[in-house]
Amino acid sequence: MSKRKVKETHMPVGECISQVQMILRERFCHQRLPEKPVGMESQHKHLLELLRRTAVHGESNSVLIVGPRGSGKTMLLNCVLRELLEVKDVNKNVLPVHLNGLLQTDDRIALKEITRQLNLENVVGDKVFGSFAENLAFLLEALKKGDRSSSRPVLFILDEFDLFAHHKNQTLLYNLLDVSQSAQAPVAVIGLTCRLDVLELLEKRVKSRFSHRQIHLLSSLSFIQYLDNVRSQLSLPQDFPDTNFYDEWNDGIKVRHFSSYPQLVDVLQRHYNSSKDFRSLHLLLMLALSRVSASKPAIKPTDLLEASRVCMVDSKANILHGLSILELCLIIAMKHLNDIYEGEPFNFQMVHNEFKKFLQRKSHSIHNFDKPVVIKAFEHLQQLELIKSMDSSTAKIQKEYQLMKLLLDHSQIMEALQKYPQCPTDVKQWAMSAFG
Amino acid sequence: MVRYFTRLRMRRIYKWGGRPYIFDRKLKSYGFEYLNMSVEGQEAVTTVTPGQYILIEGNDDEYPFVAKLLKFFGDESHKQKKALVQWFLRLSEVPQNKKLLLGRSPHPQEIFYYLGRACDNEINAESILAQCPGCGIIKIYCYPLFLHNFDAETPQWALEVKVESCVPRNMTRQTALLNTRPLNPEASCTNVSGGNTVQLTNKVSPARHKKSLEHEKPSKAPPSQNLPNPDDAGPGSNSGLEKELRNSVCFPCFLIQVTPSTPRHATPSIPSRTVPARQPGNILEEARARLHVSSVPESLPCREQEFQDIYNFVESKVMDGTGGCMYISGVPGTGKTATIHEVIRCLQHASDMDEIPTFRFIEINGMKMTDPHQAYVQILQKLTDQKVTADHAAALLEKRFSNPAPKKETTVLLVDELDLLWTRKQNVMYNLFDWPTRRHARLVVLTIANTMDLPERIMINRVASRLGLTRMSFQPYSFKQLQQIITSRLNKVKAFEEDALQLVSRKVAALSGDARRCLDICRRATEICEHSTSHPSSAGLVRMNHVMEALDEMFSSSYITAIRCASLQEQLFLRAVIAEFRRLGLEEATFQQVFVQHRALSRVEGLQPISVSEGLAVCQRLGACRLLLLEASRLDMLQRVRLNVSQDDVLYALKAVRD
Repeated sequence: MSKRKVKETHMPVGECISQVQMILRERFCHQRLPEKPVGMESQHKHLLELLRRTAVHGESNSVLIVGPRGSGKTMLLNCVLRELLEVKDVNKNVLPVHLNGLLQTDDRIALKEITRQLNLENVVGDKVFGSFAENLAFLLEALKKGDRSSSRPVLFILDEFDLFAHHKNQTLLYNLLDVSQSAQAPVAVIGLTCRLDVLELLEKRVKSRFSHRQIHLLSSLSFIQYLDNVRSQLSLPQDFPDTNFYDEWNDGIKVRHFSSYPQLVDVLQRHYNSSKDFRSLHLLLMLALSRVSASKPAIKPTDLLEASRVCMVDSKANILHGLSILELCLIIAMKHLNDIYEGEPFNFQMVHNEFKKFLQRKSHSIHNFDKPVVIKAFEHLQQLELIKSMDSSTAKIQKEYQLMKLLLDHSQIMEALQKYPQCPTDVKQWAMSAFG
Repeated sequence: MVRYFTRLRMRRIYKWGGRPYIFDRKLKSYGFEYLNMSVEGQEAVTTVTPGQYILIEGNDDEYPFVAKLLKFFGDESHKQKKALVQWFLRLSEVPQNKKLLLGRSPHPQEIFYYLGRACDNEINAESILAQCPGCGIIKIYCYPLFLHNFDAETPQWALEVKVESCVPRNMTRQTALLNTRPLNPEASCTNVSGGNTVQLTNKVSPARHKKSLEHEKPSKAPPSQNLPNPDDAGPGSNSGLEKELRNSVCFPCFLIQVTPSTPRHATPSIPSRTVPARQPGNILEEARARLHVSSVPESLPCREQEFQDIYNFVESKVMDGTGGCMYISGVPGTGKTATIHEVIRCLQHASDMDEIPTFRFIEINGMKMTDPHQAYVQILQKLTDQKVTADHAAALLEKRFSNPAPKKETTVLLVDELDLLWTRKQNVMYNLFDWPTRRHARLVVLTIANTMDLPERIMINRVASRLGLTRMSFQPYSFKQLQQIITSRLNKVKAFEEDALQLVSRKVAALSGDARRCLDICRRATEICEHSTSHPSSAGLVRMNHVMEALDEMFSSSYITAIRCASLQEQLFLRAVIAEFRRLGLEEATFQQVFVQHRALSRVEGLQPISVSEGLAVCQRLGACRLLLLEASRLDMLQRVRLNVSQDDVLYALKAVRD
């Protein structure tokens, strides 16, 4: 074994890089569970205790895990489940049922899924038999038959819990929570949601049956911790085959490297300011990782800067850069109209008039376009969703008189003009002048 | 209501056989010797005479009633044909508690001698379906289960019946399969004679019965051994037959063998666990188990008056054999369902003690069905174990409750979450409340819903009128009551400080009076108490601070914490929203307007301004956790933004952050 290890310490760089990319990609994209959830110890303990009691004592429970998107709700739950199933007495004794509000869009589908996952008797292969009503009666009877001490606890995990509250009569939630509050088979109902007001969605009878246990995942991460996170997310695990490469890689992302690059700290601070969640961080690191290659076998601060530039870029900027001069002129005309009429909607005719005025008065470089050409350009802008029609009934009104609104901010227009390659100066001046 | 029958119904013709042999002057009735039955369009005529065992049309087509014919009589006009019968019960009709009295596991086809007083033994002769079909000779052992003072001293009878094979064509599959199997070698040797004689062969003396009881005890083998199934009816199953013979002598039973078909409905169950559940180890765990809402308390405190009222209502209806409706309202968690279950438990007990006639309890829940019409299906299934479509079930129930049926016990029906049974025509509710008013229905309907004025609000007049004015409302618990409930649940397990309990009950009573909430908070407090010490066994009583923490967790709004934990840009955006609201004087603004403010604010704060896309992402994040209410995101910059928290809360939360 040790011999093999010695041999493996001299892996070619290319192989090391592909290893690194595999490990880190799995971490960033496949949401590989960390060894221990960071920054949520008390919540972790609470949930673990709760589920352990269900598994071991057969106590029924219901709990909601609430936190903004990307705050680690699923990660916490999966960590707890992994830890729970490692206990010897437990792993054969619980039946987890995973449901997702986005997949099980109504109770009929949800019931089929539950029955399938529980492998009840009306399941053959992957098919569930019986009508909706029969399935419900079947499941309820099955749960009713069980009792606290003899039947296996069932863990119902409802992802996107708020969407289940929109089902008709909240039948599924009522029944699951009712089972959790009566002497039937032990169940734990675990809801995951990002809505803080989820309890208000529950009908009063359903609400009364819910235990009102909520685990909030609100990260109060400081910037220092955030930097630590970045580092730990990028660092390689101990059992990396090539030790030399492991040392070099991990050295490359040490603190001093970070702090010696004020620009980098700035960028990370900006990311931290905009969101603290892991998902946006993973996106950033993923972009940086993809710039690593055999010829450049380390993550450099410049990579992170570049990645952040890609992350932060305005989504409409690229569209604006691809517009023709005529379309750009139309947008400038709309901007002036917005200024004049204080954001009131406009129609094509007004824009065309504005554009014509500009051509007559100031333009030296722009030709006069025919009206159909201008209409075509206008329609193209509409297809790009840079402008949006205000009234729904499009059939009645002629195209030229449909009321439109501009979906661009002034700053976006000005920025696009600055970066537009070979933009005529008179167009720029027209854009910057106060009134058309 | 649509009535349809899936099976071909045949019209039977009944004719008196022979001349009236006796005339009763007082009753003005004639006695007859036998009755000829024939099916329309068919030649075959069946004759039934008193003394025979017959099948009588009942609620359930597949399982007609069994009775012994005693006498025929008719009135002067010869139009009405009556018969006097002695009822027998099928095993499925025997109440559970009586089955327990039997002290053994009876064969599913065994029947029992019925001595109850609750049912009329005079029936319409035209409801006779057929002779009890079978071939060969069977032994009927009657077990007088329905004597009121049941004890071992009661004499038992054993009857030997010779029944001719007679399987009527129109019988359904199950009954057509009825065929009797000789029980003992002697009997099987006897020739199948045409006579339908009944003779009393054996009278078991009390002493012998006692002896046989002792006999039975060791041979309490699994039923499959006692009653060999017909598949292995070959010569190899002799030992089983012998044992059965012994049992049949000792323990009277009447066997009608039915080839068991595979059960139509598999019984669902959750797999059982490999390791048994651990029992509570310390005081706090014990307290937690007792405080769990699911644990059934020894008594229901604080609902004595309601309990008594419901008890009296149901008891009187059961005693009189009449029907009625009752409407019970109350906010969730006030013990409505629990009280009714308690009432039924007490009444079941009373009927076990033979203080009141037996009754059946059926429970349906509006929330536990997918469609209001499923109510019929569930009721029928619980009454007769039949599984049919909703329309058919409605027709069958209608028939069951409107026709006079010979043996009928009172049915107590609990309809939980009544408001869910609302349909546009309200026919489900109408039927539920109409059946009790029928003369022969013997149905007591107890309905539960949350609002007091439900009958007035959602029911049309003819439904509300049938529901009647027997109403009861459960008030939310007061703090004293809640305290009493917890104390009685804990039942001398000393886990809570007195003050802590009082705090919980006062807090819950002030908010909702929901007992479930109260119990949940107490349970959480025990957990907090357990975690507050390093070693679980050293944890003491649950104190004030534990309860405070639990209350805080459950009742405090999380918005403020959420705002405090939000990222800097999100907080800035909230401030921009408020600034824009103030500028506009409205509680609504478009994203574009807010974003202008946002940029100005970030300039003031010395932050790098963010792009529009980032701003939208921030806005969407706030919308996802419902700090903001947003329009559909396809409106892009024009989507309107509203706060879902009060402005003061936002400012308070943000101020604390900046300080």
